[in-house]
Amino acid sequence: MLQTPNPLGSVRPASSERPPAISVRGLKMGYGTRVLLENASFDVKRGEIMVILGGSGSGKSSLMKNIIGLYRPMDGDILIDGTSIVRARGQDKAHLQCKLGVMYQSGALFGSLTVLENVRFPLDQFTDLGLGEKNLTARMLLRQVEMGYAEGFMPGALSGGMLKRAGIARAMALGSDILTLDEPSAGLDPITAANLDRTILSLREDLGLTFVVVTHELQSIFAIADRAIMLDPVSRSIIAEGKPSELRDRSDDPRVRQFFNRQSDAAMHKAKP
Amino acid sequence: MATATTSGLRTDDSVKVVLEGRITAYTAAPIWKDALDTLARNPDRPIVVDASRLEYADDVGIALLFDLLRRDRPPQAKVEMRDLAANLAALVEAFDPKDFAQPPPGRPQIGILEHIGRVAAQEVAYVKTIAAFLGQCAGALWYAIRHRGLVRWGEVVSVATEAGANAVPIVLLIGFLMGVIIAFEIGLVAQQFGAVIFVVNGVGVAMLRELGALMTAIVFAGRTGAAFAAQIGTQKVNEEVNAIQTFGLDPVHFLVLPRLIAAVLVMPLLTVLADVIGIFGGALVMATFNVSFVLFYNQLLGAVDTGDFVLGIVKAAVFGLAIAGIGCQRGLATGEGATAVGLSATSAVVKSIVWIVVLDGIFTVLTS
Repeated sequence: MLQTPNPLGSVRPASSERPPAISVRGLKMGYGTRVLLENASFDVKRGEIMVILGGSGSGKSSLMKNIIGLYRPMDGDILIDGTSIVRARGQDKAHLQCKLGVMYQSGALFGSLTVLENVRFPLDQFTDLGLGEKNLTARMLLRQVEMGYAEGFMPGALSGGMLKRAGIARAMALGSDILTLDEPSAGLDPITAANLDRTILSLREDLGLTFVVVTHELQSIFAIADRAIMLDPVSRSIIAEGKPSELRDRSDDPRVRQFFNRQSDAAMHKAKP
Repeated sequence: MATATTSGLRTDDSVKVVLEGRITAYTAAPIWKDALDTLARNPDRPIVVDASRLEYADDVGIALLFDLLRRDRPPQAKVEMRDLAANLAALVEAFDPKDFAQPPPGRPQIGILEHIGRVAAQEVAYVKTIAAFLGQCAGALWYAIRHRGLVRWGEVVSVATEAGANAVPIVLLIGFLMGVIIAFEIGLVAQQFGAVIFVVNGVGVAMLRELGALMTAIVFAGRTGAAFAAQIGTQKVNEEVNAIQTFGLDPVHFLVLPRLIAAVLVMPLLTVLADVIGIFGGALVMATFNVSFVLFYNQLLGAVDTGDFVLGIVKAAVFGLAIAGIGCQRGLATGEGATAVGLSATSAVVKSIVWIVVLDGIFTVLTS
């Protein structure tokens, strides 16, 4: 059974009566008339690291953007902490979005601000804290992602892994306890990717954060994921859900086995009797 | 929802600060301020922070707790945290106050003299760079003259269409307004001296020798010079320029030359349009000063000659060459990231306008 750590800074243990951190119900999404995913339903529990995986073009990043309210689904509902982000409007939607920290694929740091100023940015915008208090909070966040030494750097001087870790720190600034990460390991060397995986795990363990991670990096998936869902662009549906190791070893679906065993189409056809 | 409060209740010698409820990014500001005020008002008394009723703290709340504990106070006036939940205590203790002893590094500040010196050195370096780049361009042009089949004429036509044909409406508008403004301003003054007819001379000479080319060049710099810098800058950021080089191609020949040729061809054409529409605008205004179109035409023929027209056209070609050269050079000098593309485009416009004015001054000295 999944061990769910306490929510960030909460004195009380996580209540089993609280709704799931994210609940997707009968989702249909796509662009224009092109449907990417239909009738998708799944929950993300508190303190869980849920990975959305699938091949290129299967709609992983689009699903994430639907969850964080950037895109509007064609049908269905997405509940954040039990409240629909699809039906929310204006301030209500902004309030829900503040519960979600987002790290984009490139880190999306503002190029004209230092790393510290980037992490401080949400605090500047949404709180009445003094500069000293905001700086202290931002510096502590940067140390949590092992980026304390880079607080005076400009984003242009950072490597890909550093940009992503700084992006995570910024995503956490407003105390969001649900973090969505888009391709955190993509384009990183194995050591940097492993360090980032360790950062994600320690943030979950120390702070009890909930993660939704979009990735197709197998090593990362096995390192961090409690559970995974796999999207298929042909059937436009979720074709697998469960622990990555179980999906790899026990799935009856050849598409799932092909993905986890990293087999080419040619090898799959050859393997057929 | 519970609210968080602090209070300075004295118990014996110590001062008690009570933290209760939820401390989040949105609620922490007044609590933090109150707590620090309490510490500041009691510099020599021990402080007891009662966290028994604290329900929740996010990262800002944890920073608040850490900030209270890390304060440098006398031994008899330490801050003591009581009944803090174990998970919160672990989070706070994970940080070392020594790591935060130094203030965060600010942006490097430089004095005004150093700034002036740096800018001057950059400009000197830029002149050298642009001279070397113009040398490369001249080499590429000479090569193109000898091997016309190797010039990417399709690209030249495409750039000329975008930079020339698509710029006609804005050039016509600016040229027309320039003619109208000059005629009106000079006309009002000349009217006082009964010399309205000589306004035609002013409009003709100004448009043909100076303003037709100058205003067209400024529009061209803002529209096309910036576009050249942004296009090539984006290609540089996307490593397309590296790809061109690794194919054994010269980026100057491949990217810059078509733009230079297109600019030199379309700038004079645009200037002719600006000249004609500017003089037409002047004629319209002069009609309000009782100078008929026929009279305007006859006076204009006596006031300007072919040399004035040719001078404007030659200027336009040189301005076009300078704008395209600067735009392409700034594009090729683009650094890393999307911000660098914006800086290149801005720099291309500013440097183009400065060089247009400088070149215009040189023309004026040489031809007067």
